[in-house]
Amino acid sequence: MPDGLAALLSALWHFATPWTLWNVLWSTLLGIVVGMLPGLTATLGVALLTTLTLKFPPDQAILTLICMYVGAIYGGSRSAILLNIPGTPANAATSLDGFPLARAGRAGEAMAIATIGSFCGSLVGMVMLAILAPVLADFALAFGSWEYFWLAVFGIVVCGRLTALDDPLKGWLAGLLGLLVAMVGQEGIHGYQRFTYGITEISGGFGLLPVLVGAFGLAELLQVVKQPVYEVVRDAGRRILPRLREVFRYWRTILRSGLIGTFMGVLPGVGEDIGAWASYAAARRASRERERFGKGSVEGLLAAETGNNAAVPGAIVPVLTLAVPGSAPAAVLLAAMYVHGLRPGPLITVEFPGFIEQVVAMILLATCAMLVLGLLLIRPLLFVLAVPREYLVPVVFVLCTIGSFAIAERLFDIWTMVGFGILGFVLREMRFPMAPLVLGLVLGDILDKNFRRAMVLGAGSIEPFFTRPISALLAALTILTLLAGLPWVRRGLARLAGRLGGAALRAVRKEVR
Amino acid sequence: MNRTPRADLVAGAAFTALGLAAVEESWRMPTLAEFGVEPWSAPGVVPALVGAGMVLSGLLLALRALRAGALERGRTLAAELGFDAGARRRVLLALLLMAGYAIGLVGRVPFRVATFVFVLTFVLLFRLPRAENAQARLRETLFAVSLAAATALGVGFVFEYLFYVRLP
Repeated sequence: MPDGLAALLSALWHFATPWTLWNVLWSTLLGIVVGMLPGLTATLGVALLTTLTLKFPPDQAILTLICMYVGAIYGGSRSAILLNIPGTPANAATSLDGFPLARAGRAGEAMAIATIGSFCGSLVGMVMLAILAPVLADFALAFGSWEYFWLAVFGIVVCGRLTALDDPLKGWLAGLLGLLVAMVGQEGIHGYQRFTYGITEISGGFGLLPVLVGAFGLAELLQVVKQPVYEVVRDAGRRILPRLREVFRYWRTILRSGLIGTFMGVLPGVGEDIGAWASYAAARRASRERERFGKGSVEGLLAAETGNNAAVPGAIVPVLTLAVPGSAPAAVLLAAMYVHGLRPGPLITVEFPGFIEQVVAMILLATCAMLVLGLLLIRPLLFVLAVPREYLVPVVFVLCTIGSFAIAERLFDIWTMVGFGILGFVLREMRFPMAPLVLGLVLGDILDKNFRRAMVLGAGSIEPFFTRPISALLAALTILTLLAGLPWVRRGLARLAGRLGGAALRAVRKEVR
Repeated sequence: MNRTPRADLVAGAAFTALGLAAVEESWRMPTLAEFGVEPWSAPGVVPALVGAGMVLSGLLLALRALRAGALERGRTLAAELGFDAGARRRVLLALLLMAGYAIGLVGRVPFRVATFVFVLTFVLLFRLPRAENAQARLRETLFAVSLAAATALGVGFVFEYLFYVRLP
């Protein structure tokens, strides 16, 4: 641990330059603005910024992306509080108590409480990342092809199950679609070109970033256009700083939400929105002021915002150690790491010594910037919400277009972005979650190569998939998650374990509707 | 639970068709047996499994939608998905402009010109109908021209001279 601390201090020293601090400030602020604007999510922000920072040195590029990620997840709380429209899906639980507080004339205070909750959540997640990542990387060294195969399958099954709580089937279909898209292009074992139909531009597969910019950028812009005009609230109220004593008397809620958020972040593809919902549900169950939840509870607001921001470092843990994203924005972060020549995975501590500590330092810088900017700019940032969407949409789309092009300077990538944008929009409108699709895209290659490699190693036998201890555990978890998604099994389980997570979570979600 | 049966039926049918196509295409992929390759490592194995999973899930979705009354008279996709006339018009117009810019203009005319035309047209088409009088219309037009010029020049400059991207 002292070694880790020394490495962290060294990483912080490495980043103690005016250039770095400037990058931290603008990218966190940009993240907050992107998060604030209803419809624009952290994934879109990170994907767009990846294309903007292609020429940056790797450490600065990853730093700005993490700042954008942290800033956007936090920024979404502003519109959730002021407009009752979550800026990103991760802030849906925030609006439950944030908006009633704003209506009661305590908007500024609510925003500051959300800021402190997000700050604490990020810190808890950051500490967990520093502790968990090296342990998980060591553990993952024991993984063979069998374990990687199950990890990929488990990721898609659990992500599909949790991100589409009402209808796991849609989550799994989105995951399968992502896997199928990932199969396009030259496969990694025999070099055969699958589903390319002679089109040379897709012989290497679809570019991940253009697909993500489309599925999140264009699709989100179309969703923004679809909505009727929203009313903007400009009154922050008189008080814009909360009483710290009032906030920290909920330290148990902060700690619990931080841990739950981190855990949800670590689960493949599950991410910040489920981190927030699960933390909120747990806080409501444990609270002595349960009846105030949904009516302007400070504790509820804290739980939601702590939970979603804790999920950010949580989602980066599997990115660093397994090359498996914990959320959709983390998938883009993973892609960006590859673009910059970094190879996350179990060997990260060997191949890139000190990188985990650098990421911890990046999160710390982003978190501090978020706190300072969030508290200082409460009133000025209100004007962001007043920008008419008709001005914003074309400008962001221009960035989506040139950003997709800039990666490889191919017009085909722009067409890919448009195609996947339309597909993403249609799927969202049909209530399909996007996270499993992204996870399928990222994990497709891992699943494909490792399944076939394992079959070769096992001379065609599927036995090792169920007899190797870690593989068997992952298989059991996958099957259990699948079974729990079936309505008749779920009804039975709900009767047995009505008091555990799921029921409360569903109840809270119903309340929102 | 199922609030969008018509949409689910359409999606289920589409996924089933896509899955079937994937299985059929995977079946036609070489097994490479002539090179002594382990049959389970053939290129078509995983896509076929994914396709089969998609067929199964797609069928389940479609069947469930049918049981929930997807074919009931009076049920429409637009109503289920909340597409009133205004939303339909806005989305179609935006999509037309965006696709026209990204596929039709970029790469054919200089990037800055294409961007200027796109931003200007987008803002004018969406904002002008809401302007209440001639003065408001003039103000909107001037702002649209400024925004379009600033976007075209600013984005062009940043990508060309700071990120060294050869503009399309």
